[in-house]
Parts: sequence; structure tokens; C-alpha cells
Amino acid sequence: MRRLAVLALALLAARASAAPDLSADALLRDHLWREVRRAPAGARPKVGLVLSAGSLRGVAHVGVIQVLQTAGFPIDVVAGTSMGSVVGAFYANGTTLKRMWEIASHLRVDSGSNVSGRHLISLILFDRLLSSEKTEKMIRTELKGKTFEQLQKPFACLSMDVYTGEAIIFRDGDVATAVRASMNLPGIFEPLEYRHRFLVDGGVVDYIPVDAARLLGAQWVIASVTEADFTASRPKNVLDALEQVIDIRGAYLSREQRKQANFLIEPPVGDIGMFDEQRIPEALEKGVIAAAQRLNAAEESLILASIPKLAPLWSRSAAPMPAPAPTPAPSPAAAP
Amino acid sequence: MRTSARRAAVLVCAALALGSAARAAWWPFGEADDRKIKPVEKLFAARRYPDVIAALNASFMQTLRGADLRGAYVLRGQSYDYLGRTDEALGDYQVGTRLYPKSVELLTLEGALLHRNGLDEHARELFLSALRYDPKNPRAHLGLAEIEGRLSFLDRSATHYEAALESLSGRADVWRDYAQVLLALNEVPTADLALRKALELEPRSADAHVLLAFARRAQGDYDGALLQLDEAADLGAGVGALRAKALWLLEAGRLGDAAAAADAVLRAAPGDAAGLWVKARLLLPKNPPRAAEILAPLAADADGDGASFSARAARALRDAALAAQRAREDRLYESPQ
Repeated sequence: MRRLAVLALALLAARASAAPDLSADALLRDHLWREVRRAPAGARPKVGLVLSAGSLRGVAHVGVIQVLQTAGFPIDVVAGTSMGSVVGAFYANGTTLKRMWEIASHLRVDSGSNVSGRHLISLILFDRLLSSEKTEKMIRTELKGKTFEQLQKPFACLSMDVYTGEAIIFRDGDVATAVRASMNLPGIFEPLEYRHRFLVDGGVVDYIPVDAARLLGAQWVIASVTEADFTASRPKNVLDALEQVIDIRGAYLSREQRKQANFLIEPPVGDIGMFDEQRIPEALEKGVIAAAQRLNAAEESLILASIPKLAPLWSRSAAPMPAPAPTPAPSPAAAP
Repeated sequence: MRTSARRAAVLVCAALALGSAARAAWWPFGEADDRKIKPVEKLFAARRYPDVIAALNASFMQTLRGADLRGAYVLRGQSYDYLGRTDEALGDYQVGTRLYPKSVELLTLEGALLHRNGLDEHARELFLSALRYDPKNPRAHLGLAEIEGRLSFLDRSATHYEAALESLSGRADVWRDYAQVLLALNEVPTADLALRKALELEPRSADAHVLLAFARRAQGDYDGALLQLDEAADLGAGVGALRAKALWLLEAGRLGDAAAAADAVLRAAPGDAAGLWVKARLLLPKNPPRAAEILAPLAADADGDGASFSARAARALRDAALAAQRAREDRLYESPQ
């Protein structure tokens, strides 16, 4: 049998090893992607990464960021709403992917709130809303109490004033408080009083905050969207019904906002509920897979948007640009 | 004396009989010569797959037990597989793994077949099961490395390749695949090492030379990269290596060489997008209308959902070249005033 096993292994060796893609499309993409990444400031569009709301589904953003970062995707500004603001704050802070993945993997429903059996009964019987103070503490600890100005990348997050219905874009001051306000689910958490406003989750009014990224100067926006598939859900209680209403509202809001982004990555996490903490690993993986599948298309889209800005440089001289970007790696597109 | 001799003879006979029975019944203690599928194994080793399938017919399979039956599913499944009868192969593997859920061989064979057919989710479960019983199994690690790589879990993929290479270090293709994952992970010096190992094992691999060229370029070593591309071209990498050379010479600022390389590409593949791109880029500073003209045929195909990236890029550069020319003319028009 051992001889047969060796033969089987030898036959297995005959399988086709993936050959490098040397087609004109792949090589030209790889070459131009390098040019885009080496481009000095102003010679390519300012790139904004937008992370949508989506409660626990939003951990898929971490997977998306992992793929973009490994591919050397240049991200200049970041904007997020709700869970997107939590992930966005970590990313803008320069938190390592490993740490972000670790935090996301250990997220639980009670990670950012004082939810417990007793508090839920109080919520349902006595209208006593929960507190999202734990979110603020967690962010403050991870970010070491930084302000927006101290982050590595410009960052903005969204909240809503529950009394006026206005969308409030935070881009200065204390990050932890702003992020807490951004993911302060109405109907579950008590509104956060901050800067003379009563703030709840920004996802209610701005599900995919493309406008916030534009406000930070983004000229080309890539958005990671973790929208719910509300048609798959059958609410069974007050919390489910509330989640359903928020998801439906988010879906309507995002219809228009999707059109404002230049490129969308949509991890298929729509069936993961607001409290499905056991499906977090799945959401993370789906983020990676969805981003990887769209990576070439995203690179192509940014290249095409960059050519009009790069052409004047190329017109001055056909010689290479003088200041290469620090990441020297090849695009995985041509080295699959 | 007689009695004791008789006793000894009886004991020896009993021991021999017991040993033989034990060997036949419990395969790990040796291969019994009287195993029923021994002749079928010979047919399989001779790659006579239709004969293997014919020999392992239903009535013969009913007479088999234990290791023989498990081996029969392995042999018949592989024979179907090599003959391209995938469904029947899968059927045999599935029955086999149901009867022998701890058979690493059956688990990995079924996993490999599913993986080849794109059913990676199921394949991954089978390979992981195989690793529970044999943590160093190279086929399971290799399968997982490929699946994780395909799904873009590059770290995990690299880890599985490393485990597989502990047993498969003589396989140039595995070193190459491992290097591709390392390149995508930006672990370029390690990828370089892996590719040199691949080339030691298979010096005439054009693919390995191309990948080494990518690794050298990623390290800023354009001379080394171009040398590897030349080697790859000599080994039959075709017009692809020429394309890469033209584009990389442009990146390296060796403009005269880039023009010559672009001409070589266009001679080998007239109308090639990469060749036209390099020529247009070289003409752009001094003669934008000519650059636009060169790109025009390619740019004409840029409309529609199915348009290639090259065509869309050509249109973008053509439009930029025309805009540059208009700006130049505007300046000329304005300057006398």
C-alpha cells in the first residue's frame, strides 16, 4: 500500500501549479498599480475608505481592511458609522491588523454595553434604556485616549441628534466619545449627551457615510457595506422588531448612498443578526473573501480615476517618478 | 521426550497459524501475501485503470472486508478520477469515508477531488478531519494551503505550505506556489529564497523564473528582474515575458531599451495592449497627438461592460494626451499676447 501511496503522491504532483498571469491586462494593471502607489501627493485622487453601519455584521470590515492593506491599497481618509466607526477608529489609529482581528473575534453583545438579563427585563418592563459606556471605555483604552487630531489618518464618524434629527459628523475632539455616540442604538441605549446634543447611532440617518469622507477631502471613495437582508428576518420580539426597523431604514438610506461611492465591497453578511455573536468568525472571513474577489476591480477603478492626474507627470518626462512609496511589494494581481 | 517434542511441534504450528491469521486480519502488522486486492494493486500500479474498475466490480467488492475493502475504494476511486469520471470517483470516496471515517487517505482523496472542482468549503472540512488523525499529512496541508490561498487567507495558506514542504521539499511546484503566496504577503526575501529552491529542483521552469523576476523587481533590483525575464523568455515564457520586460524597462527609466522591447512585443503580438501602452507613454512628453493616435484603436474597444482593462486604460490615457495637447495649444495661442 505504501508504494501505491507514493504513486498517488507522484500523480498528485502532476496537478497544474498556478502559473503567473502574464496577460496584457494583468501586467498593465500591475504596472499602473505600482505607478498609482508611487504617485506623490496630488498625482492621484485622495482615497477615502467608508465603513457602513451594520452592528455585529460590521466586523466584516476588518476582513476587508486586511485585504486592502495587504495589497498596499492607499487609503488617505476614513469615515464610519456605528460599527463602521469602531473599526474605522482602530484603523485610523494605526492599530495592527492582528490586534483588530483579535478585538473583533472576541466581541460579544455585552462588550460595548451593560446588557444582562436584569437590565433587559428593566428595559422591557420599565423602559429603562441600557448604557453604552463600555464601548467608550474599550475605545479609550485601545486608542489611549486619543483625539481625532492625534490619529494617523484623518477620520470622521457619524451620529444623529435624536431631538433634531440632524446628522452630526465628528472629526475633532475625543474619539472614544464620538464613536460611542455613533453606535448608540436608539431604543436600546440611552441617548448620549455630548456637546449639548442627545446623540444616537448614526446608522439611522447616514448608513454609508460617503459624505463624511468627502468632507475630509476624499475624491475617490471605496465603501465596505454590511447591510442586513431584512427580508430573511422574522421578528419574534420587541428587540427583533426594533432591529428589523433599523435594518429596513438602513437599506432605504443606503440605496442612494451606494451611488455616491466610487467602489463598493459588500461582504455577504446580510443574514447575520444584530446579536449573532457566534457568527463573528464567519463575518470576518466573509469580509476577507468579498474584498479579495473585488480587489482587482477596485485597483482598476482607482487606476482609471488616477490616469488623468498621472498623465501630466508622464507628460513632463517618460522617466519614472522620483519618490517611490515605502511599500515595495508587487501587486498580487500579477503574482496570484 | 516424545511427548514434549510433540507439544513443541504443536505449539510452533499453533503460533504460526495464529500469526498468519493475525496478519491477515490486522493489516498494520504487515502486508499479507494472500490479500484479495493484491492483483488489483498491480493493475493500478501499471496504470491500467479500466482494468482496475472492471476487477473491482460489485460482486467482488462484496467479498472484501477491512483493509481490503478500504483499499478497494481508494483504488477504484482514483481510477475513476484519472479517467475523468469524477462523479463515480466522488461516489466511491464518499462511501469509503462513511465506512472508514478515520482513513486519512480517503479523506484527502475526496478533499482533493472536491477542491479541484471548486467545492472548497467541503474540501476544507475533509482536509481538517484528515489532519486530526495525521497532523503532518502533506496532502491535507497542501490542499488547505491552496484553498486558503484561493480565498485570500494568505497567512494560513503560507503556514500550510510550510507544513506540506516538510514532507514535499522535493516538489518544485509546491515551492513555487508557496512563493506566490509569500509575494502576495509582501514577504519578498523569503519568496526569493523559495523560488531559488524551486529553481534548484527544476532549473528549466519558466514560471519560476518569472516569479523570481517579480520578487527581484519588488526588491528594486530591476537588473536582476530583467535577467530572470530573459531566462524565462528563453525557456518559452512567450510574449508575456516580453510584455513584462517592456513595462519594467519603462519603470526603471531605461527609455531607449523600453522602446526596443515594446517593438519586440508588437512584432510578436501586433496590437498588443502593453506594447502600445509603452510606446504611447514614451511619446507622451514630446508628441501627445501621436501618443493618442497610437492608443486610438485600443481605446475604441473601451465601451461596454465587457471592455478589457487595457482598453479602458488606453482610452483614459488617450483622453489625457488630447487634453495635454489642447492645453499646450492654448498656451501657444496665449503666449504672443
